Amino acid sequence: MTTSSLLEFARGPLFRLSFAILILGLGRIIFLEIWGIIKAYGNTCDMKMPWQLIRSRSLEWILPVKRMMRNRDVYSVVSFLFHFGLLIVPIFLFAHINLWQQSVGITWPALPYLWAFWLALSTIVFGATMLIGRMAVKQMRFLSKPQDYFWLILLLTPFVTGFICANLSINAAFYQFIMVVHVLAGDLIFILIPFSKIAHCVLAPFSQVVGAIGWKFPSGADEAITRTLDSPKG
Amino acid sequence: MNRAKNAKLVLWILAGFAAAVALNRYLFGLGVTTNLNDRTPWGFWIGFDVMAGVALAAGGFVTTAVFYIMKREEFHPLVKPAVLTAFLGYVAVVVGLLFDLGLPWNIWHMIIYWNPHSPLFEVGWCVMLYTSVLLLEFSPVPLEEYSRYAKIRNFLMKYRFVLVLLGIMLSTLHQSSLGSLFLIMPERLYPLWYTHILPIEFFISAVALGLMMVAFETLVSHWLYRRDPETVLVGKLCRVAAWVLALYFVVKSFDLGITGKLGLVFNGKWQSDLFIVEIAVSTIIPAVMFAVPRLTRKPVVQWTGSFMVVAGMVLNRIDVGGLAMYDSTASYTPSWMEIAISLGVVSAACLVFLFVLERFNIWEIKPADPESMPQTAPSFDYSSRSWLGTPDAASLARHSLAFVLSFALGMGMMSGKRLHAEGVDSIRVSPATGIDTLCINGNRDDQYVEFSHEGHIAWLRTHAISLTIDGVVHTASPSGGDSCTFCHHLNLPGEKVSNCAECHTSMYSEVDFFRHGWHASAVGANLKCDDCHATGVTRNAASAKKCTACHRGYDFAPGKGAAGPELYIPSYVDAMHKLCVSCHIADLREVSSLSQTNGGILSGKDKSNLAQCASCHRTGVPPELRADMKWQVKLPHYDNVVLPNVGVTVK
Amino acid sequence: MSKAILTDVTKCIGCLKCVSACKEVHHLDADVPRVWDKNDGLSAENWTAIVFKDGRYVRKQCRHCLEPACASVCPVGALHKTSIGAVVYDSSKCLGCRYCMMACPFGIPRYEWDKAVPHVEKCILCYDRIEEGKQPACTEACPTGATIFGERKELLPLVHARIEANPGKYIDKVWGEHEVGGTSVLYLSDIDLGFLTYPTVKGDKPLPQETVTAMESVPFAFVGMGGAMLGLNWIIRRRMKLGEEKAKKKDPAHE
Repeated sequence: MTTSSLLEFARGPLFRLSFAILILGLGRIIFLEIWGIIKAYGNTCDMKMPWQLIRSRSLEWILPVKRMMRNRDVYSVVSFLFHFGLLIVPIFLFAHINLWQQSVGITWPALPYLWAFWLALSTIVFGATMLIGRMAVKQMRFLSKPQDYFWLILLLTPFVTGFICANLSINAAFYQFIMVVHVLAGDLIFILIPFSKIAHCVLAPFSQVVGAIGWKFPSGADEAITRTLDSPKG
Repeated sequence: MNRAKNAKLVLWILAGFAAAVALNRYLFGLGVTTNLNDRTPWGFWIGFDVMAGVALAAGGFVTTAVFYIMKREEFHPLVKPAVLTAFLGYVAVVVGLLFDLGLPWNIWHMIIYWNPHSPLFEVGWCVMLYTSVLLLEFSPVPLEEYSRYAKIRNFLMKYRFVLVLLGIMLSTLHQSSLGSLFLIMPERLYPLWYTHILPIEFFISAVALGLMMVAFETLVSHWLYRRDPETVLVGKLCRVAAWVLALYFVVKSFDLGITGKLGLVFNGKWQSDLFIVEIAVSTIIPAVMFAVPRLTRKPVVQWTGSFMVVAGMVLNRIDVGGLAMYDSTASYTPSWMEIAISLGVVSAACLVFLFVLERFNIWEIKPADPESMPQTAPSFDYSSRSWLGTPDAASLARHSLAFVLSFALGMGMMSGKRLHAEGVDSIRVSPATGIDTLCINGNRDDQYVEFSHEGHIAWLRTHAISLTIDGVVHTASPSGGDSCTFCHHLNLPGEKVSNCAECHTSMYSEVDFFRHGWHASAVGANLKCDDCHATGVTRNAASAKKCTACHRGYDFAPGKGAAGPELYIPSYVDAMHKLCVSCHIADLREVSSLSQTNGGILSGKDKSNLAQCASCHRTGVPPELRADMKWQVKLPHYDNVVLPNVGVTVK
Repeated sequence: MSKAILTDVTKCIGCLKCVSACKEVHHLDADVPRVWDKNDGLSAENWTAIVFKDGRYVRKQCRHCLEPACASVCPVGALHKTSIGAVVYDSSKCLGCRYCMMACPFGIPRYEWDKAVPHVEKCILCYDRIEEGKQPACTEACPTGATIFGERKELLPLVHARIEANPGKYIDKVWGEHEVGGTSVLYLSDIDLGFLTYPTVKGDKPLPQETVTAMESVPFAFVGMGGAMLGLNWIIRRRMKLGEEKAKKKDPAHE
């Protein structure tokens, strides 16, 4: 298999496969989440839910202004900007939109070239900062699992490779190789998102609701859980 | 091992796979998903989804007739499942039809636009009415669970006999009318299947198939939920089926005998082999097996016999629906995507059947599927310390995962080329073939212009000429410097001579030449917007750089049909005529004493007076050049009459 | 006033002017060979084509049958024969079942297999031009008069006169005069034109008549089956009742 045919495969059949897994997989976990919440809600003894609190807490997580004021100033800013670039750049990049237009004929407004350049660069920088922070700060290192490092590296791969392809003059063979890495990494991200912690991109809105319901279970529910855990049937 | 659980998983996978194909079918049309073509516009979907589907659902009217009309009370356990199967079967037929119809959103047009001459009109109406009747026949079962609908249920129960009678009458009509569909095409359907009593044969075989489908469905569902098989009842069905099959066989043989077609059965063509297989599997072997009453009580005989009838009769419907055509009128094998859709529709129907079976009172006792029992304790997976949820949550998660993954696999398996609905190949005009002497046969019509490349080079080497095309003067000198570009105005990079057909891609029409996407693409010319478009003005073709700013020395002219500034390429015919005639016009003038020419191109009126066309355009491609024509291999449909655009005789 | 087209195969020089005129008038797209083509030149973008056969050019197009099979089978009547003789297609009614394509004995209608919203495509005899008083684009464009337009009634004598005037030049047959009940597109030829039809089409019986018997017996089958079932039910119930009474008589203490 030559590089160019591998590239065609990765952005043809493999892309369709991974994109389908991404969209349907996310739809599936949203459905399962809502289904589970409804079931759990039916089991609560106090049917009143603190919607106001849930809303303000959710907003607080999405726009971490308050947290920035408190103990996590640098991390909050870096993380927010990283997330911003991570979402905006791939969706509104002209080259990506162009591919969509050529294959299925749909199109939407693209980022100006300069914006895309700086946003992509900032995402790479902030991503790298988070990675270094995870390794350098003792508490963060203690809390981190292997998958946390893996995800940061995997998410940064298409950004770095894409940045190289879009902005540097490199010879055609190397360009194709970098492009293959770019597309394959993107496909892998799409496939893994619905089955990993990155699913928080759609599950985040529900997390506060789940937490709130958790407080509403009848007293003694914890014992029942413990009993179940210990039961030999499992 | 939980049979029902595994079966459901497989059904979900098939349904997911079909959903991916369905998405593509609706987004990109029938051409990319099916192998249907202008020669064989009906295929597997009509044969299996519609014709076989309706026939498989015949169990509903046969069972209700036996139970309500003939008062055979012992068949009571089979009535509810049979009516449910029939209802779901008809819904599956309609859903399957939604894939096959080109404009499925117009399916309701049959209600307002009437053409009573059409058998399909009659089938459509009967299917609509009978599906409603089946819904009314079955709805007492789910309504039983909700006491507030008791009134409706009692009303339906009261008039059940009327519904059953109406259902039988409607079924008689459309089961036979499916055969009438093909009466109008004696030229297509092979004579072994074509007969004027096709409607009657269809009705009899539908009764037999209905009986055996009820038997098969009973056997399978009881096996799935590990219940005691209804051996006695199924045995009775088999014995009745033996008589119906015998009647079918007699009618069919008599018809073949009277119309003198018996000889066709044994003439060794593939159609006759197919016929023998079909009649043996669907009728002869099962009828013989069921003829012995002792055998009909054996589960092995019941399983094989009912399966053979079901498979054989389905094959019969597929044969009539498109497989058993004359060789000269058909060329079609279903694509995997067609089969995937059909399997998916059937799987979805089966899933609904199993759901209703577990949820409502179809059998006296609802089947004990451990997955559907919420009182089972929640479970943890100890190895991964993850919460698996209650059993129903786990099954929901598993089934949806199976659906998602198989959907994604289906999306991946669509070939990109098919997605874009490309043609035989990207070049629409076949390039000239040959080496020293070219055979120019762009429209593949066995008419060719023989062009001696060597001869023309030799001539150009000794003559200095100039020629004016579209106001541009082209010259060729004996020194040979400009000789190639005199004819070859546009060459590929690397001094590779480009085929005329690569740019003049359409035989008779102008084509747009400029590929904007390629110029902007990073893997193409990799140009930034600013490279061609000035900033500060509207970025369109008019304000862009001219092509000649980069492609120096090339000759781009806007076409005659081009209102805007886009670049058009003349059609292949125009280009070739311009190329040849503009040189040869002088000779032509002498010979035919034409008073006028149209800018070097002959107008149609002049052409009609020219006997000289034939001096270039010859008939019959010489065999040594014919071997070189790659397109002959690529074209999938052969005909013993006519071939490509304007016709070739192939022996 | 049934209009018709007459094509004299011996006069055609194969210049394809009719093809391009047709494409121009009906704004048809560039023709692209597709995997689903029938390879006789006709396609959704080509409503007429020149077939090269036995050294002759034969123009292929919809024959506009006098009793069109396509119109008789269309469940919604999207195809119909107009009073001027053209068999025309109403895309707003069509539901895309393609029964017309199956039923046509000449294999003419084509489908837009590559479209998400596909329609049936075929020659419509330029009925709109005829209504404006013009003639079809193809006959107008023909430089040699090989294909001409006129009243069917007037063309037929003309054809026979032409055959008589040139003894030995033509085969003494007008294709389209009688086959499948006659067509509005007639051919005069010195080669056998049987290949324009499916080789298995036989006889002059209009195809729609093949279904007439079956369709006419529909109401009888409907009522007959209902009656038979009611009768059967009555007999069986009566026999059961009699059986019960008999049992009661035999054994009065049964209840």
